[in-house]
Amino acid sequence: MKKYATMLPDIAGSLFKRPATEAYPFVRSQAPMRLRGLLKWTPGPCTGCGLCAMDCPADALRVTMLDRKAKKFFLTYNVDRCLFCGQCVVSCRLGALAMSSQEWELAALTREAFTIRFGKELDDQSGLAGGPQGEPHTDRS
Amino acid sequence: MSLLPGIGAMLIFPGGLSLLTASLLYEWADHKLLALLQNRIGPRWFQPFADSVKLLAKEEIVPKGVDRWLFFGLPLVALAGALTAGLYVPLAGLAPIASFPGDLIVVLYLLSLLTLGLGLAGANSLDRFSLIGATRTLTQVFSYEAPFMMALLGPALAAGSWQIATISAYASGHWLALTQPLGFVVALIGLMGKLEMPPFDAPEAHTEIVAGAMTEYSGRGLALFNLGKAVELFIGLTLISALYLGGVENPLLFLAKTLGLLLALTGVQALLTRLRIDQTVGLWWRYGALLVLVQWLITILVR
Amino acid sequence: MTENRTPRRFTIPIGPQHPALKEPGAFQFTVDGEVVTNAYVRLGYAHRGIEKAAEERNWIQNLYLIERVCGICSHIHALAYCLAVEQLANVQAPPRAQAIRVLVAELERIHSHFLWMGVAAHEAGFETLFMYTWRDRETVMDLLEGLTGNRVNYSANLLGGVKFDVDAAQADSIRTGLEFLEGRVRHYLDVVSHDATFLQRTRGIGVMTTAQADVMGAVGPTARASNVVRDLRVHAPYAAYPDFPVSIVTDPRGDLEARFSVRLRELFESFRVIREILDRLPAGELAARMPRRIPEGEAVIRLEAPRGDVFYFVKSAGGDQPERLKIRTPTICNLTSVVRLAVGHQLADVPMILAGIDPCFSCNDRMVQVRKQSDGSQELMTWEQLRQHGIEFYRGKAQ
Repeated sequence: MKKYATMLPDIAGSLFKRPATEAYPFVRSQAPMRLRGLLKWTPGPCTGCGLCAMDCPADALRVTMLDRKAKKFFLTYNVDRCLFCGQCVVSCRLGALAMSSQEWELAALTREAFTIRFGKELDDQSGLAGGPQGEPHTDRS
Repeated sequence: MSLLPGIGAMLIFPGGLSLLTASLLYEWADHKLLALLQNRIGPRWFQPFADSVKLLAKEEIVPKGVDRWLFFGLPLVALAGALTAGLYVPLAGLAPIASFPGDLIVVLYLLSLLTLGLGLAGANSLDRFSLIGATRTLTQVFSYEAPFMMALLGPALAAGSWQIATISAYASGHWLALTQPLGFVVALIGLMGKLEMPPFDAPEAHTEIVAGAMTEYSGRGLALFNLGKAVELFIGLTLISALYLGGVENPLLFLAKTLGLLLALTGVQALLTRLRIDQTVGLWWRYGALLVLVQWLITILVR
Repeated sequence: MTENRTPRRFTIPIGPQHPALKEPGAFQFTVDGEVVTNAYVRLGYAHRGIEKAAEERNWIQNLYLIERVCGICSHIHALAYCLAVEQLANVQAPPRAQAIRVLVAELERIHSHFLWMGVAAHEAGFETLFMYTWRDRETVMDLLEGLTGNRVNYSANLLGGVKFDVDAAQADSIRTGLEFLEGRVRHYLDVVSHDATFLQRTRGIGVMTTAQADVMGAVGPTARASNVVRDLRVHAPYAAYPDFPVSIVTDPRGDLEARFSVRLRELFESFRVIREILDRLPAGELAARMPRRIPEGEAVIRLEAPRGDVFYFVKSAGGDQPERLKIRTPTICNLTSVVRLAVGHQLADVPMILAGIDPCFSCNDRMVQVRKQSDGSQELMTWEQLRQHGIEFYRGKAQ
């Protein structure tokens, strides 16, 4: 049995409904709690073990050891390489990493904005000032 | 001399620039209505203007092996034909700029100029997509043109004249859509065929042949073809409103009737799948022609 | 433009860049008027060397590389890889994890079929159906985003289990979403089975008999629409499918209408399975521990992706990187059917026949060797040579 205009109820109804399109950026709906946005690092638990960097499929994380005995290190996080897969969060056995569900609008106008340093203040400073080169942790020899 | 007001009417209002502006606004209305029917937002009011301006500003690439005169001339001829047809129809509810007995036939042929121009333009290019598009355009012309013309001549039969102004005045009294329903339906669907609106957009089915006859066009040529199509939409709506929907005595009625027709057209656009070219031909030569002939028979007998 | 120009017979290229194809693949159809007389396909435009790249990454990193083989069946690829590696390591993922894996897989199937329906309607020229199916697809994508954290590339799998749990609130939102989607699927099934103009484009078009499907090796819903009773979720159950079985949906007609019907009716099975999983989710952990070095061995895994059979072969040499990874996706099995069936149809039917197999070119691409027609020789260029060739080519053009 052939019918005609089978989508008539849909289009007639749509004339009286608001469009389904979300008027972003004027309207922003709430992002779900589990959204994998920007990576956030908590300095407390981190020991610089580098498992996160080893398991990152996109080579977005690097740990630079400044002084292994004094436990001075910093991490470099390249947002432009990050896949937002969340493996680093799982690999970290100490719970130092988490992905934000609020910060996901990450467009920037400069390259520098995409390199984020995670470090205890002193380590960050010495790293930035060109301190001892340290050994970066990478997964590929 | 009445030349200056005549030229002003032709070039500024209600023809020429106003006609172009109104056509682009109606094209926007078509897209916006379609979007609303599909539960989305659609373009903003200046989108067709922006598109035309952008295309006019772009480089025109002339493909190898085409006849340059035809390549540059056909879009001009198409747009010119559409704009000239505007001289004889009651635009914006005002009296036609020019009028003479038999101008209905002239208008119909001027409107076909665009389609034929498109077909020729497609055949001009050496590109395979254009050739197939041109073949389909011309096949479609052969299928809907006769029933469409006959459907528009139905009110002429009832009014006893081939002059649009006279038929329009005759139709002001009563709605021929009610007394000649079959002709009205064929005219409406025929307009969709002429404008290559879905479901009759096989000639420019972009999932099959990229853009049909217009594939090789860019820049100015494409802009002129698009403008021509928009003008045809406007004139087609005006014509059918004037003939079938009880005339268009003043601008307000004109707006209401043409927009109402546009809503109907857009509704049909949204509801149906694209027809293959052989299905289009079959549909028109089986049902279209039959319906309109039956309508003519009834009209003649009743008179 | 190399073909002959004998009257009314020429070759229409569909691809590698064409509005009908959402991904690049080069088809050439020889037409006589509007009727197709010959068809030819060439692949290789989206080949990325994933199998080779996998040999240089460790097992954990490969999980995310494999996920990106395809956008719409990404979870199935990741699942196949996980199952293969778990088989090599002789580790069983806990039952709760397997159930959640199947839950996400079925949600992905729903997503994939809605997407396909929109694209197929778009190829037919039925824009309204396209817009509405894609609007409804947003519902399932929002469900997946809430559950996994991303709309596409869910990254739900871990070697040994899954990353996240399904709690009561999630389960409720999934149930609500499914109710809405089920109503819509019923409506769309009505539309594709009864709409007169749509049937004109699908009924009796691209008919493939069961025998032809067997010979051409068609898989997935394309084959099931030709009455081939084959569904790996039933014939080779994996993950949690032994506990949450599916019924096979087939259709005897073999035309495009049957393919629409099979995919839509399959969705009812998916809805049922998801609800069952939500009701009877086994308790337990989310992941088992996996060693970093996977023992030596070979594993073969076959799964039912939304498009058909996905085949994975994983070989380990005992280290922390795979030795060989071989992926065979369903579209490459179904492409022969497009090329054979297109002959005799009108040109306007060809995009529909292509859309009917639900093609995914990025999944199935392989390296293609092009031989010169004159003497059959091949030319292989290294990366540096290719770069140099490009520089000289454009330098020559500028002059």
